[in-house]
Amino acid sequence: MEKWRVALRLIGIGWYVAIAILSGLLVGLWLDGLLGTRPLFIIIGLLLGIVLAFFGFYKLILPMLDTKKDRNK
Amino acid sequence: MAKKRGCLGCSIPVILAVGIPLTTLILLSLINLFAPDVLPTWLRATSQPEVHLPAAIIFTVAGFPITNTLLTTWITILLLVGISFVVAKRMKFVPGRLQSAFEMLLGFVYNLCRDVAGEKNGRMFFPVVATIFLFVGFNAWLGLLPGYGAITVLTAHGETHLLRPANTDLNTPLAIALMSLIFVQAFGFKALGLKYIGRFVAVGRIFKSFGQIFKGKAGEGFVGLITGVIEAFLGFLELLSEFVIHTISFTFRLFGNMTAGETLIVVMLFLLPFVIPTIFYGLEILIGFIQAIIFSGLTLIFLTMAAAHGEEEHGH
Repeated sequence: MEKWRVALRLIGIGWYVAIAILSGLLVGLWLDGLLGTRPLFIIIGLLLGIVLAFFGFYKLILPMLDTKKDRNK
Repeated sequence: MAKKRGCLGCSIPVILAVGIPLTTLILLSLINLFAPDVLPTWLRATSQPEVHLPAAIIFTVAGFPITNTLLTTWITILLLVGISFVVAKRMKFVPGRLQSAFEMLLGFVYNLCRDVAGEKNGRMFFPVVATIFLFVGFNAWLGLLPGYGAITVLTAHGETHLLRPANTDLNTPLAIALMSLIFVQAFGFKALGLKYIGRFVAVGRIFKSFGQIFKGKAGEGFVGLITGVIEAFLGFLELLSEFVIHTISFTFRLFGNMTAGETLIVVMLFLLPFVIPTIFYGLEILIGFIQAIIFSGLTLIFLTMAAAHGEEEHGH
């Protein structure tokens, strides 16, 4: 049943995106507090978190993109 | 509510016997919420709801604290081992009630594994996935047993609950998430061998490009170098994603859902003490089951992704 595969991957995305961005921000905040370089690491952490969120998102929906491509061919 | 039940074919005495107490209790709940001063003290929900995030320590063994969530973890394990032992010992060709219930549950998980990971990999992943499913599910459902949270003990730090659902303590979901992570890495390594590390440390192309530059093919080498750096960065992202973000999101998803459910019931019991919290009990049964499916299913997805990583790349 293909349904389960799709459903589970979609369930995984929500928390993944949230946690990726949040942890990037939190690590940035922590490093800034440690080194006193506010807001340098907040920006770097946020950027890394957002990139990571998109990366994981892409990885998780990759198989679904593939099946769509095959159907169009 | 009582009149609706009448439509279901109940006779009038039954409607009265069920409907009047139910309506009275709901009314009492509402009075309790809006005008508690009207009621006599023994009918009021007086105890303020208390929510403790860290688990309470019941006793210590040689400096190692035994918390109430750890106790329930052991109870869950003992119960699962006991039931499995009984079911496996009295296995019959024509299953009894307990055996068919377990066969149905495990059959569901087995079909899930086979559908997602395929016949061969599904068989290999099934023990891990089923263990996580049973543990998380039983843990959540045990916490909903009547009287489970009512047992209190007197400890060194004051009166606390003896039993508390293990997944409302951040450490238990973290432990399961780490276990899941280790299994994913182990199965990925088993399926792909040393090539599996290349998924995270993708520096092969950089060294190759350096070689090309030294051989005099500067143009090709520099293009390769840039691609190599991007590949290495993607590998780093994969590493972070797999080891940090997935583990944290596993942990907080389970912890958040279980704690929110527990808190919801506690607050509901305080606000509307009769009848209405039953609805949320039903919801919690569903949520426990869903969380078990999600945790084990996502582990299964990551196992499949790790084991099929090489094949997936070649598939494009």
